Amino acid sequence: MTQSKPLPTPTPETQPYWDSCKSHAMKLPRCKSCSQFHFYPRALCPHCWSMDLEWVTASGKGKIYSYVISHRPAPGFQDDVPYIIGVVELDEGVRLMTNIVGVIPEPKNIWVGMDVSVEYEDVSETITLPTYKPI
Amino acid sequence: MGVLTGKTAIVGVGETTYYRDAGRTTLSLGVEAIRNAVKDAGLELSDIDGMTSYQAGGDSHGSNEMAQSLGMQLNYSLDIMGGGSSTEALVAHAAGLLAGGYCNNIVIFRSMRGRTGKRMGGQTPSGPVPAVAINTDGEALRIGVTTPAQNFGIAAMRYFKEYGAGTKQLAAVAMTHRYHATLNPRAFFYKKPLTLEDYISARWVSKPFRLFDCCLEMDVACAFVMTRKEMAYDLKHPPIYILGGSARTMSESPAYNPGRLNTAVHHHASNWASRRWMGMSGVTHKDIDTASFYDAFTFTPLIQMEGYGFVDHGEAGFWYEEGHGRLDARMPVNTSGSHLSEGYTHGIQMVVEMARQLRGRADCSTDACPDWEKGIHCFDREKGCRQVKKYGTQDSLPEVGFCGGWGSPTTSSSLVLSKFSSSN
Repeated sequence: MTQSKPLPTPTPETQPYWDSCKSHAMKLPRCKSCSQFHFYPRALCPHCWSMDLEWVTASGKGKIYSYVISHRPAPGFQDDVPYIIGVVELDEGVRLMTNIVGVIPEPKNIWVGMDVSVEYEDVSETITLPTYKPI
Repeated sequence: MGVLTGKTAIVGVGETTYYRDAGRTTLSLGVEAIRNAVKDAGLELSDIDGMTSYQAGGDSHGSNEMAQSLGMQLNYSLDIMGGGSSTEALVAHAAGLLAGGYCNNIVIFRSMRGRTGKRMGGQTPSGPVPAVAINTDGEALRIGVTTPAQNFGIAAMRYFKEYGAGTKQLAAVAMTHRYHATLNPRAFFYKKPLTLEDYISARWVSKPFRLFDCCLEMDVACAFVMTRKEMAYDLKHPPIYILGGSARTMSESPAYNPGRLNTAVHHHASNWASRRWMGMSGVTHKDIDTASFYDAFTFTPLIQMEGYGFVDHGEAGFWYEEGHGRLDARMPVNTSGSHLSEGYTHGIQMVVEMARQLRGRADCSTDACPDWEKGIHCFDREKGCRQVKKYGTQDSLPEVGFCGGWGSPTTSSSLVLSKFSSSN
């Protein structure tokens, strides 16, 4: 049996993030006290520990911070190898782990510092996954 | 020095065979390793009154199950969650427990079916994959991240970009640790050297890691016995004293949110302990005769060596390439072959090996050193002697050893052991 890819289960803290992805306009949590963004979503600002947070629409643009090319499939990724797992640093200053898509997975095509932008993939009625593609 | 420097010692070490498929439970493996360690100390099983272990996600039997199988009555038992960095942290626990009188002789063990049970590197675990929330690890599954090879690969790629190191330096680590395994009768790769061509031509696992960049998953259990200094003198082997170290320094995951600390993805938690381990042990880098660094991947020793301050950032791969980590060089590292070439134990075997080396009783092949059990070694590597000697001497034994206990950005531990109870 071919295993399908696991989907995220939103939590109360992450629901606004997944809702924003679903509407193809990603939002990130920002601290109203010190104005800094953070990611992943959590109960308080990791910079100043304020609990006064807001959700702000993000640029969806950033740069590849680092990456790896996985030659062995995780469950559900049988048809995808080799695939790229990247850490992207968004213009808002946060980093996140994601898949880099839309590029042949060879080191000559991908580099640290490469500009990328978010792509949305609607995978179920409730979940839209953000991935990132070179601009 | 810390207040407990030299107050406790490792007095017995043991393990099972390193198996590809043991065909045994972790309970069966564990009791054998514990028995071997207690016998090695010259103690009776009934002398043991404390036991502690670690496991990853319920992949092993715990202390109470081991003790019940062995017919023991304990005054202390505790099992913690975790893989790398656990052994050294449990040594710190044990030192406090022994000094405080909570127990008198304590066993630390790790029993795992790392090959036939839960595989850290397994890409296709059986059964349904749990849906996970998005958090530091939780987003991993949906983007196809299930193994440390991927996470450490990301760290390595950025490290290469920053420092200009690459494949040749990773190969030097693989070949150094493999060379040591070729001399170790217990190692999976005993008498099986690795050439640069073998290394390069092996298949990709997660680029930049090829097969021999990754540790060797095995079914195995290891154990050792600690006791108080005054109890240690009359036992079978020279005691190996606990001088100090660092116990699970940790910090934020740099794959998310360059937050308060703004660490790089290749930043290793050892950076948070780069001075503490010296303060706690009363020794510095120049005192270390031999060392081991948690080699889940060829990459991980590099960032530990740098984080703990043995070399500057970016230099460790070149240090390996210049041969400084090989037997008879300045600071022989991972002298059993450890995770890459002896077998993967989540770190504990490096403490077992360090105790043997500092005793002067590395278990060489009997062809090379028939009386190694008495501490008599020929130091002829061609013949197969694997006993470390003090750098620049003919046959002086090493005095102080350093164990670095993991290469993760978020967690690390370290341990300084010595044949002398004082750093002076």
